[in-house]
Amino acid sequence: MSAMQKVRSLFTEIKDHWSTPAEGKYVPYKEYKDVVFAVGSNYAGSKVLEYIGFFSSCYLIMHHYKLPYLTFSVIGILNMPLGYISALMWWFVCDNLGFLPKKTERKFYFTYFLMMAFGISTILFDYSRLFDQTSPFITYLNGLEGMNATACFKTFGTHFLYTGWVGARNIFWRKKLLPKYGRYKYSLYCDVIPKCIMVILIGWLPVYNIPDVATRVWVANLLFATYNVFGFANNLETCTRSISPNLQERILVRSYPVKISHFFNTIVGIILPAIIGMLRYEWADINVYRYVIPITFCVLAVFTMIFAGKVKERIPQPPVEKKVQIKFWDGMFGVLHNKYLLINTIKDLIDSLGNGMLPFVTILYFYTFRLSGLPYSLIVMLISFAGTPPDLLSPYFLKRFSYKQIMIFYQLTRAIGNGLIAAAMWFCGDNLTLCGTICVVVLFFMEMTKTVPTTAGHDMNVRIGDYQMYLSGERLESFAGVFGWFTGPITSFVGLIIPLLLLKYGFNSNWDVLFVDDSRRNIIVIPIIVDVIGFLLMTIPYLFWDYDSKKQNMVMEVLKRRAEVTEKKAEEEGVSVSGGYMG
Amino acid sequence: MSKKEKKIIVEEPIHLDIPEDEIWTYRVEGLAAPHINKPYKHFGLKKVIFAVVIIIAVSISCYFSVRTVQKDTFEYEQTEIGYELSKFSNTGYMTTLDIDFVSSVEYDRENADVNTNFEVIKDETKKVTSVGAYALNCDEKIKVINISADVDYVDPKAFYSCWALRQIEVDENNPNYCDVEGVLYSKDMKTLICRPCDHDTYLAEKYGHAKYDENGYRIEPAAEDANYEQYVKDVLTYVVPSSVETVGQLSFNYANMKAVYLPEGLKTIETLGFFEIPLLESVKSYKSDAVTDTHFTGEEALGEVYNSLPDGLEYIGSDAFSYNQAMTYVFIPESVTYIGHHAFWDTVYKADGTLKGVTVINVEASEEKFDEIHTGNSWRPQYDYLLFKKSVGINYSSVRTEG
Repeated sequence: MSAMQKVRSLFTEIKDHWSTPAEGKYVPYKEYKDVVFAVGSNYAGSKVLEYIGFFSSCYLIMHHYKLPYLTFSVIGILNMPLGYISALMWWFVCDNLGFLPKKTERKFYFTYFLMMAFGISTILFDYSRLFDQTSPFITYLNGLEGMNATACFKTFGTHFLYTGWVGARNIFWRKKLLPKYGRYKYSLYCDVIPKCIMVILIGWLPVYNIPDVATRVWVANLLFATYNVFGFANNLETCTRSISPNLQERILVRSYPVKISHFFNTIVGIILPAIIGMLRYEWADINVYRYVIPITFCVLAVFTMIFAGKVKERIPQPPVEKKVQIKFWDGMFGVLHNKYLLINTIKDLIDSLGNGMLPFVTILYFYTFRLSGLPYSLIVMLISFAGTPPDLLSPYFLKRFSYKQIMIFYQLTRAIGNGLIAAAMWFCGDNLTLCGTICVVVLFFMEMTKTVPTTAGHDMNVRIGDYQMYLSGERLESFAGVFGWFTGPITSFVGLIIPLLLLKYGFNSNWDVLFVDDSRRNIIVIPIIVDVIGFLLMTIPYLFWDYDSKKQNMVMEVLKRRAEVTEKKAEEEGVSVSGGYMG
Repeated sequence: MSKKEKKIIVEEPIHLDIPEDEIWTYRVEGLAAPHINKPYKHFGLKKVIFAVVIIIAVSISCYFSVRTVQKDTFEYEQTEIGYELSKFSNTGYMTTLDIDFVSSVEYDRENADVNTNFEVIKDETKKVTSVGAYALNCDEKIKVINISADVDYVDPKAFYSCWALRQIEVDENNPNYCDVEGVLYSKDMKTLICRPCDHDTYLAEKYGHAKYDENGYRIEPAAEDANYEQYVKDVLTYVVPSSVETVGQLSFNYANMKAVYLPEGLKTIETLGFFEIPLLESVKSYKSDAVTDTHFTGEEALGEVYNSLPDGLEYIGSDAFSYNQAMTYVFIPESVTYIGHHAFWDTVYKADGTLKGVTVINVEASEEKFDEIHTGNSWRPQYDYLLFKKSVGINYSSVRTEG
């Protein structure tokens, strides 16, 4: 068949199946078009939000709040115990899709409101005054980096407020919106307006001017916690991962319309830094957070909501009313029996070796090469574009190589690439031209070799979910967090290694230390070396991955059969059902 | 089985014939059997094991994490001749730090006032002889540092970003260091090591210009105030003594300073020597070799004064004048042989469509001669030009303007 004939046949295929999918497929081509716009604006919007966050490399924190680096680890440790308790309730709600027995639901609401009341009271009153100010406990808290006893109690209370607020919203909105909008995109509908308001407020509230660092820390923590109550994640792309029960069609959607949709982000990624480069203080200019980011985000949020309804999830599942009710311990043991989740967990555990590392690529651009404006945009675009051509060939690579091979290759390329960058910075850091060229070339190749494994990784996660659904009758995506219970304690401790090393090399709340050449070299290179070790070790868990396409197809057959039988029985019983999908 | 055959098998459509009553129990070959709404074996025991493992993991993690972030107020490393202060972590309420003996903090249980309920206990058998790099990194409380006679080395980065630091006092018997009005110098006064970040508050108090708001934060006088001119002379102007040959690394960073007078004998300005001084409008040099007073009373006391960097200057370190957007004139004397990378970075900017700040670099040497000296990457300021960056021009064989 000639190229012309192929094009003609493709055109006919698209025309014929524009509104109704072809035999054996589930997604009409019209929906491909909707995916481009919906995912494009949602993805670009969520990427814009990456400029806002309660972490040290956020430009708002870096240039305006100036919070000590180790303080973020301290807050993480303060929040850890409550995280365990709240996670239990969270999983229970999420994996039952918000549909709880009435009595349990009332108990949950009561607990969440109690948490909120306690949280608000810690913000209004200073509980540290109830303790002896010379006791070891209070003097310990006073000595924590960037904190004092008052700030610690308020930070602790803020986490209660946040957990209660998020938990109560989770039950309310899931129950209300999930049957209509599906499990992946319902949250966009309830969060988008408050999120826009918070994005605007975060730049305009002048709380970064508070002179006392401890007060600044807890107020910033409260502000960002409120901001985080409302989500705007890349939900629609997640939704496309379950757009079809047909594996090839899933990958096709991920490889073409989803990839094309990412051009929206590429365009935003060029324009945004170019505009910011024109501001007098560039990234340090507060107008970045007062005008540039809020306007960009709000426009993208509007586009997201216009197209969100047109992308559907198609997981073969019984109707919501007839789904398997997950008891707490069934959920726990259900995920613990999933071998592939265990493999992922071990990999994540090793990955935590790199926790606390500064974004070295950003440091490279801003502090070594002093890039800003359009040159910055262009180099970022050049490197991020490197991943696009191989991504278009993802279906070929995913067919040709096993997921095990792809993921091992990925970890090895990270190790080699990072090793080369560390060597370049260590041995020729003084020669900006040579060092810069090596780094950019290596980053380019690392990006090129990243996109196929990323697609594979996403599909592996979907497969793990499908396998879990086969094992337990539900995907148990939240209960999968139980692995985090075991790894969390270890990762939080291991995650302190790099921040403490950085503190030793002079990195704290003032990023300008990165202008000191020898300090910058240590701050970048030493953590990279730790990370390289992590990448090498991460190849080991993947040696045990044996979940191939044949097994996956058989699992999908089981799921389809379950959906079919359950819905048929429900109809026979005359029960009105919603949210099911047979595939 | 060949690869091709294997591929064909994978792509074959699969159909499983699952009876209706087996939908929740049907086991796929090679995978674990489903376990849905069925009781687990040894359920109670499994729950106990699960809970115990979790409790142990969390407890161990909390213990080690808390231990790790807990830092002693003073951390020292033993050296051949004494102890080095390697890290100081403020209790949150200490405003004065003595660097003399190995110290620790003890609390007075009878005193509830957090500002005064502690005491620094010193072990006088253990002398502190050095201060390591970043020992007081980003401290926001310490106002005064007292250095004893035994300290023989202070790293140039030791007091980096100590935002509240007003003065460094050195014991007069110290053979290596001295201070002039709270600014740290080498004993021979040839090197200026550290002008504290908040030194202007010390000067404002000394010369009677300090005013505070109800929260205790200093109010900066406005340019319209009657005594503003005097305030600029007393507080915002600094005269580097004529003996100084080196302005050290990071020595003036973040200073609240409008003008600085440099001696003609100055040879070196180290890396980040005058980094990010947003108010710094005027850099001038003077010829007198008998200036010891750092307080500016008038140019007549300095002998002949001229604009910009002094004749005889040889070395300008990287980022030496970065981010000083109030500067407008730079003259590089013929004596300069080294200019580090980004030495004048971001000293030019665009406002209302016109270039402001350092819009041109004036060089005394001819183009051929200037080409022989070492210049680092992007040493000249750069501005936005057609969406890209362009370096400001160089006036070769330039003549110094009168200031």
